Amino acid sequence: MNTIRRVAIIGGNRIPFARSNSVYSSASNQEMFTATLQGLVDRFNLHGERLGDVVGGAVMKHSRDFNLVRESVLSTTLSPQTPAFDIQQACGTGLEAAMIVANKIALGHIECGMAGGVDTTSDAPIGVNEKMRKILLEASRAKSTGQRLGSLAKMRPGMLVSPTLPRNGEPRTGYSMGEHAELMAREWNISREDQDALALKSHLNLARAYKDGFFTDLMTPFKGVAVDNNLRADLTIEKLRSLKPAFDKKVAPNQGTLTAGNSTPLTDGASAVLLASEEWAAAKNLPVLAYLSFSEVAAVDFFDKKEGLLMAPAYAVPRMLARAGISLQDFDFYEIHEAFAAQVLCTLKAWQDEAYCKEKLGLDKALGAIDLSKLNINGSSLAAGHPFAATGGRIVATLAKMLNQKGSGRGLISICAAGGQGVVAILEK
Amino acid sequence: MTSSKKSAMQIIEVTEELSPAGMFLGALKSSRKKPGVVTALPPITYVRPSVKLDAAHIAAYAKVCGYSEAQGVPIIYPQMLTFPLMMAFFASPECPWPGMGTVHLANRIAQHAILKAGDQLRVEVATGDLIAHEKGQVFNMEMKVLRGDELVWDATQTLLRIGVKNPAGPKFISALNADLPLSRQADIRAASDIGRRYGKVSGDMNPIHLSALSAKLFGFRAAIAHGLWTKARALAQLMPPYAVAQAAVNVEFKTPLFLPATASLWATHSELSTAFEVRNQKGDKPHLRGQICYA
Repeated sequence: MNTIRRVAIIGGNRIPFARSNSVYSSASNQEMFTATLQGLVDRFNLHGERLGDVVGGAVMKHSRDFNLVRESVLSTTLSPQTPAFDIQQACGTGLEAAMIVANKIALGHIECGMAGGVDTTSDAPIGVNEKMRKILLEASRAKSTGQRLGSLAKMRPGMLVSPTLPRNGEPRTGYSMGEHAELMAREWNISREDQDALALKSHLNLARAYKDGFFTDLMTPFKGVAVDNNLRADLTIEKLRSLKPAFDKKVAPNQGTLTAGNSTPLTDGASAVLLASEEWAAAKNLPVLAYLSFSEVAAVDFFDKKEGLLMAPAYAVPRMLARAGISLQDFDFYEIHEAFAAQVLCTLKAWQDEAYCKEKLGLDKALGAIDLSKLNINGSSLAAGHPFAATGGRIVATLAKMLNQKGSGRGLISICAAGGQGVVAILEK
Repeated sequence: MTSSKKSAMQIIEVTEELSPAGMFLGALKSSRKKPGVVTALPPITYVRPSVKLDAAHIAAYAKVCGYSEAQGVPIIYPQMLTFPLMMAFFASPECPWPGMGTVHLANRIAQHAILKAGDQLRVEVATGDLIAHEKGQVFNMEMKVLRGDELVWDATQTLLRIGVKNPAGPKFISALNADLPLSRQADIRAASDIGRRYGKVSGDMNPIHLSALSAKLFGFRAAIAHGLWTKARALAQLMPPYAVAQAAVNVEFKTPLFLPATASLWATHSELSTAFEVRNQKGDKPHLRGQICYA
């Protein structure tokens, strides 16, 4: 039995993120994830290397991609003897993948591995019409040509033009993510102005990070794209204010505060990180950026108890802080995934709310405010975009590099996910 | 009409129902007025002693202005009840200026209680102060609605008589802050027939609102939306989806909204107030600016 080891983050890679149906509209998940993994292999010269495991996933997935990560690994120059598997935890997929690989390394089961995620809403899986699918299955079960023709005769032209489309919504509530976030913004009284201000900061921070060359060793250009194409470096608060609410019709008619500017767009992209034991890193002569030291997941009852769908990180963080024996203020950087500006602002407000912290989170007192000058300082999802499963890898790599640049310190990662879930982690150097 | 002299204040009761055409004719006839120097309006109060709130009329008004049934009697609706009194004033010799060519500059409304269909109300319109404006003479009309002894609603209608030289009174100061950052909330569609539809409900059949042709006769390039319709349409969108007991609304009319148009609604909400503007579609020119305060 081994003792628990520190898990080193060696590096990360992503392809620039692109708004849905733009430059990557014809790229498949496998193509994007392969390019991302290959970039990481190239950067650390891992050609022919057998890694302990590669874990990743996609939220929007074709049934043919059941082995997406393994198929992607086989298309890289890694050793074909590198095992791999798929996971899926909505927007938490990328960070959860890193946690799985990290735990294997910590326990000594493997020495190194990659974790990541990919998503496309451009090359989305469209199912055939549900009635047509049943007819096709019935026809395939038929024992004679006559039976088969009998089944197929039930097909109607209308079935061809009304396919089953994937949707960005909660199956149990029927509300979209944006509608849920709008409900949360109402519950926590988050103003449109504060949301727009956060969105502007995200764009300006990401633009500055690009200008500083921050992403140079965290990114591989793909299909001629070198910068996230959702980034608006010349964005102004006036432009954000000129956008109309987008998610209020069903949940808060005429009272909406969420717009296309302070919400993440549907995005295509992929990311991956390289994790290893310190021994492996030393043997390869690879410097360590940071260590993944704690992680936690939580879920809320958004259906019966009507809790905010994206509030689970508010629960996960204090549990993790208790295990780590530190306070919310003991961080040098906060990376709170900006699914919606409102999600970030609701979470920060909840942590300052005495009643919420006591009654819902079971704490003695409020967690308190954070120093906002430490929040998402190199931009986040509002500017970069949010390819669901790829966001975790982007944030882990970004934060690890920030800690390495600083030389020492601690950073918090918080990611909300569909299904009322939250995935959080602490990185240290 | 009956009139009685009571100290300095003259009270005129308006009991007969005036037809819109009759009111308009009175306004037209008043166009021949040629006043001299006006230093103050004569103190007169026009009164409708008993008006019953009519559910069908409220519903028709709510429909044209985009209110939902749940919002109850709209906060500007009582102003509809003052219209015959305003027309009586304009047609009377006591009003120094013609009704035609008088511009609606600002409007302040305070509602003090929830109104319900069937309520018996006393409606008063009194002449108010004179204010000097760079474009002419501003004058206020003070409006009150009472239910029994209870003041349920009051308003000040601020009107501008363009072209009056050396206007009397203190200098006009805009009461609304233009520097607040506003965010786009929605688009407001003003159809080409909205002037006719609102005119029918409100009784304000001023030809500048009715059609492009009739508006051209009075020097406008197209029909313009009633200012009170634009205000009502914005409030329908901005106010809560239920009946509010107490609220105050201040509005200043900035530029005409030519029909048909798609205007944009901009606002910023704080805990007890909402600042808003109705702007053109591009969002760079205000048609009206306002503020809602909740008690």
